[in-house]
Amino acid sequence: MASNNLSIGQSALAAAQAGMATAGHNIANASTPGYSRQVVVQSAAPPQEFGYGYVGRGTEIETVKRIYSDFLGKQVAAAQSSKAELDSYYTQIRQIDNLLADSSAGLSPALQDFFNGVQDVASNPTSTASRQSMLSAGEALAGRFRLLDRRLDEIRQGVNSEITTSVGAITSYAQQLAQLNDAIQRAEGSSHGNPPNDLLDRRDLLIADLSEEIKATVVKQDGGMYNVFIGNGLPLVVGAQAYGLKAGPSQSDPTRVEAYYNGNGVTTAVSEESLAGGRLGGLLGFRATMLDSAQNSLGRIALGLAASFNAQHMLGRDINGYQGTAFFTVGDPLASASAANTSGAQILPRVLDANAMTTSNYSLRYDGSQYVLTRLNDGVTQTFASLPQSVDGVALELVDPGIPPLAGDQFLIRPTAAGASNFAVALKDPARIAASLEGEVGDNRNALLLAKLQGTKSLAQGTATYEGAYGQLVSLIGNKTHESEVTRAAAETTLSEAVKAQQAESGVNLDEEAAKLLLYQQAYQAAGRYMQIANQVFDVLLRLGD
Amino acid sequence: MRISTSTIYDMGVARITELQTRLAKTQQQLATGRRILTPADDPVAAARVLDVNQELAINTQLSRNRATAVSLLNRVEGTLSSVSDIIENVKELIVRAGNPTLSDHERGFLAVELQGTFDDLLAFANTKDASGDYLFSGYKVTAQSFTATTAGADYNGDRGQRMIQVGPSREIAVSETGETVFRGGGQDLFNTISDLIAVLKSPASSPAQVSALNAGLATANGEINKALDNVLTVRASIGSRLKELDALDSAGRVLDEHYQQTLGGLQDVDYAEAISRLSQDKLTLEASQRSFVSVASLSLFNYLS
Repeated sequence: MASNNLSIGQSALAAAQAGMATAGHNIANASTPGYSRQVVVQSAAPPQEFGYGYVGRGTEIETVKRIYSDFLGKQVAAAQSSKAELDSYYTQIRQIDNLLADSSAGLSPALQDFFNGVQDVASNPTSTASRQSMLSAGEALAGRFRLLDRRLDEIRQGVNSEITTSVGAITSYAQQLAQLNDAIQRAEGSSHGNPPNDLLDRRDLLIADLSEEIKATVVKQDGGMYNVFIGNGLPLVVGAQAYGLKAGPSQSDPTRVEAYYNGNGVTTAVSEESLAGGRLGGLLGFRATMLDSAQNSLGRIALGLAASFNAQHMLGRDINGYQGTAFFTVGDPLASASAANTSGAQILPRVLDANAMTTSNYSLRYDGSQYVLTRLNDGVTQTFASLPQSVDGVALELVDPGIPPLAGDQFLIRPTAAGASNFAVALKDPARIAASLEGEVGDNRNALLLAKLQGTKSLAQGTATYEGAYGQLVSLIGNKTHESEVTRAAAETTLSEAVKAQQAESGVNLDEEAAKLLLYQQAYQAAGRYMQIANQVFDVLLRLGD
Repeated sequence: MRISTSTIYDMGVARITELQTRLAKTQQQLATGRRILTPADDPVAAARVLDVNQELAINTQLSRNRATAVSLLNRVEGTLSSVSDIIENVKELIVRAGNPTLSDHERGFLAVELQGTFDDLLAFANTKDASGDYLFSGYKVTAQSFTATTAGADYNGDRGQRMIQVGPSREIAVSETGETVFRGGGQDLFNTISDLIAVLKSPASSPAQVSALNAGLATANGEINKALDNVLTVRASIGSRLKELDALDSAGRVLDEHYQQTLGGLQDVDYAEAISRLSQDKLTLEASQRSFVSVASLSLFNYLS
């Protein structure tokens, strides 16, 4: 009996010690990211039968477990993923918004100054000063086009490097997750199935971190391993095996960094649309929907202005009576063949009618018998059996008809992408301004016609002036920025609610731990006192013989 | 419900950050006087601001164009006013030349005087504008408008009339060709005066010569009247154009004011509203800060000894 009393006391001391250690661990990790509070699971030890009944044998510690809900964890990860996506989208689009914000730095004032210059030449066609100031205003306008375009290019560079960083982070998380899967399995094995709580927390935190980069689906395998999938079911982690993403230049556009999937030594390009969610999803979405479109819109204004202004200018005559020449030079449409093409075919796109041009890029695929052209903005496709063809104001032909494409060849066509970057004034001599129609120096009729182009709706199928098209761009970016501001705020609320709910379940409350410390302290003191009494009882027996 | 200690901190900090962001924005609005700091603040108004700014700038340019037009037309009008005076003088001279008591010799003086008038008229016909362009040469502004010949003067210009855009959909002629002014109504003024000089130089002693003189004077008188009518018609047209420009200017000023007001309504901050928002947010922020500090300092550990 005496030894039984002592062992009861000892079990109580041990339980109280474990309780205090756990409370201390909780206090120590109260602000550790991803930490879930731990509790000691205690139960009464199996009693002993003595003929007259069962006598208890103290307490047993079953396990130390973490308070964690898979459901709440998934909610937090999902909320984190959409918040991070909107955050990165917003951070990027905000830059364009700011770029267009300053009404004195945008395209409008430069455009206006240029046409004021044209008006002044119309009023004073013989004045060299007026002509010079029109040329200077033209140079300033060209400079503004190029400046805005360069800023958009800088944003593009930023997006490229962020994609590289994000893809690197995803791969690193995948490797860490695979290692943790392995470590957790080993730890459970060597502890009779007791959970390695802190390792589990670290793995769940990694899932949350991964979700910030990209939307990930976690499937729990037997044995507690996490299998992680991204995109359209691409396995990122399977048990202890990690696969990764790799950033690299796009096959059809080397200036565009894309994500490639690295599975079992085979590298394949991953379509941008499939990589949704997280920072990476936000970056890809921003680039595909906003950045390309902003740069193309600017390029289209440049192309449209150059096309109609040059055409009118070439109808006139300069101060010496010579036929007018092109006033502006502008970036030609771009076409690039995919690096994976098997033929050496190249496509030459040319502007036929700037008024009919869209702000979209196009992909052209040859399937062996016909060409399939997809307008990337809206996915509308057209097929034709041969080239040349003209689509949306752009003529497409083979650079060398003797080198036709082979089945599976792909080309990326960007009609307006380079319009603004190469916009410049071709004229250097003020006398070359073709203000007249018939070549007399006082004839200002062509200058008047040139000035009228400012108010002519010569873009987007005759629906927009140059200024109007720019206004549409500003309004589009403004609306999208505003929209993402609002949805981002909503996502932030959702995330903070999810985190609050998770914290309510799993987070450490210091007051609670303080109360537990008091509880275990008292339990420890009581157990000690109990053992003292048991010892004294035993002493009574020993002294009986004295 | 349980609440974790970190949630208490996170919530407090999040609320304070949010209020600080709002305060910073209001402060920036007040500092710039602008309600729309970037297009995202009000995309529709931001696009409208661009439109209105363009209209405003066009309106300003048109008023510049009108000033140019007025100055050019005034130059033409000033010259034509002198031309009218000269023609009046010629008319008067014809009356004087009709005096039967004048001797051939005395008419010879008149012929000399008229030659001077002819030269004056030619000088006015060859007036240049401020940029050194001939006013009456049409588009051929570098060609001297008229050169004297034995029978009058040759016109070296063309029929081009310079137009300037002076209203959103109004172009106005700011020049008159030498042909319109000096050869209008089928009448060549230089030719008429040359002929008249020849008439005055001819002797009038015989009755036939006298009647030829009188016939010549009568023809000249008729032609001079037509020429005067013509110049006066051109001047009337210039006058009405100047009047129209004046009216367009007033309309332009009204429009300018209208655009400025529209712009103000679109992008200017409402100071009263912004300041009251600022003080309200400031109050809330102070309350959040105080309550955060007092809640965060509560801990059971304070009582454990």
